[in-house]
Amino acid sequence: MAEVQAVSRPPLILGDKSLTQITSDICSAMLRRPGALWWIGFLFSLTLLAIGATVVTYQVATGIGTWGLNNSVGWAFGITNFVFWIGIGHAGTLISAILFLFRQRWRTSVNRSAEAMTLFAVMCAGVFPLIHMGRPWMGYWIFPYPNFRGPLWMNFRSPLAWDAFAISTYFLISLTFWYVGLIPDLATIRDRAGAGLRRRLFAFFSLGWNGSFRTWQRYEIVYTLLAGLATPLVVSVHTIVSWDFATAVIPGWHATIFPPYFVAGAIFSGMAMVLTLMIVARTVMHLENYITVRHVEVMCKLVILNSSIVALAYGTEFFMAQYSGNPYEQFVFLNRAFGPFAFAYWTMVSCNVLIPQLLWFKRIRTNIAVVFVLSLLINVGMWFERFVIIVTSLHRDFLPSNWASYRPTTIEVATLVGSFGLFFTCFLIFCRILPMIAMAEVKGVVAHERAQRRNRK
Amino acid sequence: MSADYKKYWRSLEEYEAGDALDEQAAEEFADTPLREGAEPGRREFLLAAGFTLAGAALTGCGRAPVEKAIPLLRQPEGILPGRSYYYATVCGGCSASCGLLAKGRDGRPIKLEGNPEHPVSRGGLCAVGQASILGLYDSLRLQQPMARGKSASWREVDEEIAKTLDGIRKEKRTVRVLTQTVASPALNSQIRGFLKGFPDARHVVYDVLSASPILDAHRQTHGARVLPRYLFQKANVIASFDADFLGTWISPVEYTSGYSEARAVEATPPRSAWHVQFESRMSLTGTKADRRIKLAPEQIPAALEHLAVRVARKAGSPVLPAAGSPVPLPDEVLDELANRLWEARGRSLVVCGLPGAEAQVLCNFVNHLLGNYGATLDIAAPSYQKQGDDRELTALVDEINAGKVGALFLHGVNPVADLPGGEELAKSLARIPLLVSLSPRLDETSPLARFVCPECDPLETWGDAEPVAGVTAISQPAIRPLGQARPAIESFARWSGNGASAHELVRSFWQESVYPRQAGQEAFEAFWKKSVEAGFARVRPQPMAVKPFDVQAVKPMSAGRSSTGKLALVLYPTPAMPDGRHAYNPWLHELPDPITKATWDNYASLAPATAGRMALQDGDVVRLLISGNAIELPVLIQPGQHEKVVAVALAYGRTVSARFANTGPKWLEQRPTPGPNGMIGANAAPFLLLKDGSVRYWRDDVKVTATGKRRPLAVTQAYSSLTVPKNLDPGGGPRPIVQETTLEALGTGGAKHESEPVMELWPDDHPFTGHRWAMTIDLNACTGCSACVIACQVENNVPVTGRDEVMRNRQMHWIRIDRYYSGPPSDVEVAHQPMMCQHCEHAPCETVCPVLATVHSSEGLNQQIYNRCVGTRYCENNCPYKVRRFNWFEYSRDDRLANLTLNPDVTVRSRGVMEKCSFCVQRIQDAKAEAKLQNRALRDGEIQTACQQTCPARAIVFGDVNDPRSKVAQRMNSGRRYRVLEEINTRPSVGYLKIVRAKKTDTDKEGGARG
Amino acid sequence: MKSGILTIVLSTGLFFSALYLAARAGTVHIPGNQQDYQPVQPIAYSHRLHAGELQMPCLYCHFSAEKSRHAGIPPASVCMNCHTLVTATFGAVRAEEELATKEQRKPRTLVSPELQKIYDALGLDANRKPDPARTMKPIAWTRVYKLPDFVYFDHRAHVGAGVICQTCHGPVEAMERMRQVPDLSMGWCVNCHRDATKNGVAGKKVYASIDCSTCHY
Repeated sequence: MAEVQAVSRPPLILGDKSLTQITSDICSAMLRRPGALWWIGFLFSLTLLAIGATVVTYQVATGIGTWGLNNSVGWAFGITNFVFWIGIGHAGTLISAILFLFRQRWRTSVNRSAEAMTLFAVMCAGVFPLIHMGRPWMGYWIFPYPNFRGPLWMNFRSPLAWDAFAISTYFLISLTFWYVGLIPDLATIRDRAGAGLRRRLFAFFSLGWNGSFRTWQRYEIVYTLLAGLATPLVVSVHTIVSWDFATAVIPGWHATIFPPYFVAGAIFSGMAMVLTLMIVARTVMHLENYITVRHVEVMCKLVILNSSIVALAYGTEFFMAQYSGNPYEQFVFLNRAFGPFAFAYWTMVSCNVLIPQLLWFKRIRTNIAVVFVLSLLINVGMWFERFVIIVTSLHRDFLPSNWASYRPTTIEVATLVGSFGLFFTCFLIFCRILPMIAMAEVKGVVAHERAQRRNRK
Repeated sequence: MSADYKKYWRSLEEYEAGDALDEQAAEEFADTPLREGAEPGRREFLLAAGFTLAGAALTGCGRAPVEKAIPLLRQPEGILPGRSYYYATVCGGCSASCGLLAKGRDGRPIKLEGNPEHPVSRGGLCAVGQASILGLYDSLRLQQPMARGKSASWREVDEEIAKTLDGIRKEKRTVRVLTQTVASPALNSQIRGFLKGFPDARHVVYDVLSASPILDAHRQTHGARVLPRYLFQKANVIASFDADFLGTWISPVEYTSGYSEARAVEATPPRSAWHVQFESRMSLTGTKADRRIKLAPEQIPAALEHLAVRVARKAGSPVLPAAGSPVPLPDEVLDELANRLWEARGRSLVVCGLPGAEAQVLCNFVNHLLGNYGATLDIAAPSYQKQGDDRELTALVDEINAGKVGALFLHGVNPVADLPGGEELAKSLARIPLLVSLSPRLDETSPLARFVCPECDPLETWGDAEPVAGVTAISQPAIRPLGQARPAIESFARWSGNGASAHELVRSFWQESVYPRQAGQEAFEAFWKKSVEAGFARVRPQPMAVKPFDVQAVKPMSAGRSSTGKLALVLYPTPAMPDGRHAYNPWLHELPDPITKATWDNYASLAPATAGRMALQDGDVVRLLISGNAIELPVLIQPGQHEKVVAVALAYGRTVSARFANTGPKWLEQRPTPGPNGMIGANAAPFLLLKDGSVRYWRDDVKVTATGKRRPLAVTQAYSSLTVPKNLDPGGGPRPIVQETTLEALGTGGAKHESEPVMELWPDDHPFTGHRWAMTIDLNACTGCSACVIACQVENNVPVTGRDEVMRNRQMHWIRIDRYYSGPPSDVEVAHQPMMCQHCEHAPCETVCPVLATVHSSEGLNQQIYNRCVGTRYCENNCPYKVRRFNWFEYSRDDRLANLTLNPDVTVRSRGVMEKCSFCVQRIQDAKAEAKLQNRALRDGEIQTACQQTCPARAIVFGDVNDPRSKVAQRMNSGRRYRVLEEINTRPSVGYLKIVRAKKTDTDKEGGARG
Repeated sequence: MKSGILTIVLSTGLFFSALYLAARAGTVHIPGNQQDYQPVQPIAYSHRLHAGELQMPCLYCHFSAEKSRHAGIPPASVCMNCHTLVTATFGAVRAEEELATKEQRKPRTLVSPELQKIYDALGLDANRKPDPARTMKPIAWTRVYKLPDFVYFDHRAHVGAGVICQTCHGPVEAMERMRQVPDLSMGWCVNCHRDATKNGVAGKKVYASIDCSTCHY
């Protein structure tokens, strides 16, 4: 069976690499002086980050009024960005954990960076719940901790409190999982690095890995266990995030389909982001042999799947509104499609439902440039999805006297920009100092395929 | 007692060489932890919050700053620190002189409330009255007199004035005193006394909102220049010809309370006075009318005339004024009205706010024919609330312009800004040898004066009032004068060589003139004490020489100009800003206009059709031009307004409003509060017409041209209908937010409220044993006057946010009044709905707050704990009523003097925390503590929320629904009671009583539309 | 050998610093907690003397505690109820009298410097009669018990319910100078309220609410 597959499919890693080559290829990417492309990218994202830091400081110092929010629209850009980034994270965990458990070998080339992406995305996301508060310096009140207030603790019924737990858990698990996966490669680098601080650091972080059968065995066990632990998070985190809205009474938020809808959306946007990053990385870091067209194609297929689920969710929302016979509910959805924020709604539909359908065609799936553009569009679309859900539901709810509009301020826009700055800065640094591709695992794949080819001879 | 208490104040003033008030402010509001700003306490707080752990580890114990506690040296009896006390006094907001209780705290008045015993205002108070307390603490009030633009001492000023007056007396030059209606008999007689000394002296009275034609008409018809007291409570049919008696006409609080009594559908016997309103713009009164007939300004007198003809015919009156002008509206409408009035003879009331005596004469004629005099109009004991005489004013203006006036004293008037032709007037005023202004602020006129002798705030001085004959009120000071200002009565006494204090003057006047009229047989001392305590005294009215109605006075009206093709300009006062004297008051500027919901501006209102025809949108700036005078104003499209009318509010564009340049939070994208002219709105007074002895409030020759500029208005309600836009309408008709019923339905429909089925997922494990606070609001009584909004703002330390924040939909008012239109835009029906926190039993806000900053109390209150709030705004999002208010910025409390109005019983909220209506929990707690001390149960009605207390219509009832005898419990069982958004099962504690519409015939709508 | 000494030195150092920290730990307060605050007052008024030895009831001076939110600091006029006559400590007066009898002269009236401050504040002359020449100057006491401004404590309710002052203010009658006894933390308030509802106050059944809006509004 395995042979048949192996014959029918092109190899995962091209250029018939020897194990040494693999190591050198991947490590060289780190040992080489950074190329001009990298520097440009890095400085650019660093600038964005600086902008973000400045405006956030200004906002915290002056007041949340520097955002375009008002008495009717209490959340908008901030929470949109939060949900957006959390969503991005999910693909990483999906690839690293679930696909690992399903023994999807193609994941090996991308899982490392995907996980890194998860971490950075969650970092970006984590910023927003804090800075969107009126008094961020009181943010720690959300956590249960011993105090002198007698009966007053925190509200375990509040989805925001659940968020706090969900996100911190998610971050910790992902971090551990990622780190454990890194250990063998860290060891490899340690062994290649000459004496000096660099070597000592890697020596420290590779926890005295010696490549013995015993270490490998322990490693495999831990990794599998963590994969098992991480798997439910893929579903749980965004489910909880969706409860922020689903448990509210506001028409357009108060919906039971939110958890699956959000999870699918999350993975959808995450996959798109992985594609974006991978395509950039493979060109910038010259890893075409490791991140092959086949990888891209496989991910595109996942994208189509999720796109369809999301499309289904959009449809269901409208149907349920119509079916409920609740005029408030019905109005909210009419207002989404044809109200003042129609442009956002139709951007969302076209980017998330219509455009991804192109990926049904192999010629498009295999055209890296096109896929890159599509992945960007999908991210735009998914950002707008969150914006539509949050803002259109709030700006016109039950009492017409409350109806208000919303327009973001420059501060808000700059904050979004800044979060991208944070994300890409982290990612680019990661590309430089850590192996972007799980060498150990790739070797495993290569060895496996070579073995199969030998059998066929 | 107030004497000792003054000593206390003085001692505090003398203690600390510096400004005692700032000192006080500092003590009162130093280190309020919930405020960011300059105070060290604040920094301390931030430090503590931000670096708790570090602080603990390093400092061991971070000490709050040392705070001083300064006790009184001698405790005046009755004054305890931290305990409120009430002084009965008189409202200085306008000449209606409502009865007040000034709530004092630790030596300073902090809130004004209506005096429930007062026979005229009956416990209500309007928005202006509520806001007028800010005038006391206005830091830009003149602190001492000024001579030739430089501050001087009273002695110098008095001496100079005396010297000049002697000169004038010798040269026999004319002396004039120009005032608005002087509500105080004592001051009146003082002025009379002052003028006696001069050969040619006169006291000229005029009112910015003139009622002069009414008085003139009564001189013609009844031989006495009187303003009748209108008793709306006795009327069953009310016809109003352009008189906005619920909003701004003569004595709105009194009339509103009477009106709501006349329409109390649940009283025994039920009352439902039928009210028809003829008007050209949408007035507050028009919004309540059972039948609103909109006519062009020049058509309204015609309508009145034709009505008169019909009524006269019915009465078989000898005099039939031939109706010169064409009938402006379908005959059957007038016939029906005439019938209704005739059937309700003696129980009907026709009021007329039209300029010109002849229309008023007709109005008197109709009331006479209907036998309303002595029934619904009282001229035996008339009203003194408006005494202005436009004829004398005209004469005086001519005198001034002719340079004939030797000395002019101005009190409570600002002619340069209020009168047409202000510029010329200003020039000639400057030429007057002795011009003395008693204005408390530097307005348009006072800088021209040689001497400015600032008068005290009414709350600082002794005074009196006689709003209606037979009801005399004493206004006693609630605080010692803050600056060197001096009461007007003292000034006039001083200039007539009498050095007595206001207290002595008022007291002696009462001894001579009021005491003899007393009903009882008390000694003066007792009478005086009683009157001071009660705030008023019922005495025998001055005998009125009123002749029987003189039919000869009734003449056919000079044919009213048939409507020209052009637009007519209608100048009107708004309930929020009736008079430019209040233009200093930020609360009133930020108070949404009851009808347009616009703040911080005046504007040119146009009918939708007209705006459409001229292709104008809301906020397009237009240029209004009449004979050289031009002003630019943004357009506001006003449904229900007559197509041929452009309406502009008076009392805006005042120099005192330039002070709002710094109002509102400072940040990158902030926009200024004042308009391009550096002031709030534009002054439309130049368009007034002072012609043949009366001020005309409309012009038919205005030219309106678009300028292409835009100035979006700061409107608090963007969408005005309960029906969603057509293209987004899923069907199902208007949303049942405001519910209405009809008289018939009410007659037949169940009087008891059928309790709606309760869907419960969980066992009801939160029984409200003990109290359970709830509120009912009678939408039928509510006129939308917005007094409650300001009352709440004063009581609960609600900040002013400024125009920009309002435009961003960030106004902070805890109670707002939603206004919904229904029906065709040409002829809309209006509903007012006060909306505040509904204190839901299943409050959506409570479950979502991560830090438990909002939770339910065991007495059914939805509590908001500011100091716990971290500002996630999740509660705000999840509130179906959107009544929560967030502190987007640190809203300024820089004016330390103004801070003295802050209610010490309510926390001042900082930036970043949520706030909302608390059902005035501080009042609940206070009443409970009192009851506990006297160990008795709380009485129903003992706790009154601020909004309830001030409501002139008595629309709001608050109390304990667990007490079946309580008024609120009974109203909760009314057949009219419903709850907003009951279907989402939030279980609000606020019940609304449906609007009752008089059943309408089909002709109505047409009648209106055709007008 | 050298390292041995070093170790000893270091470990002793560590030991003492540990001791110091342990001792310090007890008095550590989180910021805002003013427990044990005992400022110096402008007049060295002794609660021990008045409330303790002389057994004056608290409400004699702090009379507003039963009528108002604030217990208040007594106005100087209240002091004068006694101190028009009592101008110095009993001991001093007695001594002066003995000295006087010994020297056969009328005893001089002694005025204790602390009381003199009150007389000055009230602007009284040597015979403690009002002196128009002098201005009255209120006495600026240093506040000891200070709750944050978002907390509304009502003395009325507590005194009315029969809570004795010492419950919150500690053994005032034994204090020479006033000291803040409790930490005034919210937990401290709430525990007392719960206890009161459960066990009543002074044998009376009471309901001490723990709703937020009991104290926060």
